[in-house]
Amino acid sequence: MTPFALALILLALVTFVAGQIFLKHAMESTSQAGFKKSSVAVRLSVGILLMTISFFLTLGLLQRFDLSYLYPFQGLSVIIISLIAAAVLKETLTWRLMIGAILITAGVVLVSMS
Amino acid sequence: MRDRPSGFANAWLQLALSVLCVLASELLLKRGATEVADPNSALSWTGINGLTSPLVWWAILLIIVSFASWLYVLRYIPLSVAFPLSRVVDVLVPIGCWIFLGEIISTRRWCGIALVIIGLTLVAKPVAHFEEKL
Repeated sequence: MTPFALALILLALVTFVAGQIFLKHAMESTSQAGFKKSSVAVRLSVGILLMTISFFLTLGLLQRFDLSYLYPFQGLSVIIISLIAAAVLKETLTWRLMIGAILITAGVVLVSMS
Repeated sequence: MRDRPSGFANAWLQLALSVLCVLASELLLKRGATEVADPNSALSWTGINGLTSPLVWWAILLIIVSFASWLYVLRYIPLSVAFPLSRVVDVLVPIGCWIFLGEIISTRRWCGIALVIIGLTLVAKPVAHFEEKL
């Protein structure tokens, strides 16, 4: 794997994580304010844009690597998203949830290394 | 959780639907991307040439369905619970690759899959408890 491919894999990961946070934030506010508020539309659009970038980067990478090799990199997103959800969205993180997230990430990394 | 919809609108059912659509779309994307692969073209790094494959379009359709149900899930379930659970695809995708795409899964990879399953049960177990309290 070249550094360029690695950079693209990481970029796909970062855009994916940021996209999820934006979407969750948008959907949270719909439960109080409905879909009418413009901030909801902005957050949803940013989230969708970020997910789209991540999607096309992944599609380019898929042309060069096996899916079973490439895909698990996204497993790293579990731990990153759990932490960011706690920090930014003020969700409660239990130890059990953290250990579960770490195991999922470890398993996914192991899958991608073989 | 605010009002708790049941039946098809149940957030956990929608989470499962979302996961299954992602699984199917990933397998279709790999098939489609391979079909039209053109590693010599610089443009293909953007993945845009994948759009010439019909399989990629089917995958996009499934992604839209999974996206809609995922947004619905986000309304009711905290991201730090829903997201780790949605990673059950990390187990399903390699197994799908093995069954449908003929890719080989090494012992180490099987160990990784086992770890993910243990992690998932840890995340999922308090969910049952969490549901009772609502």
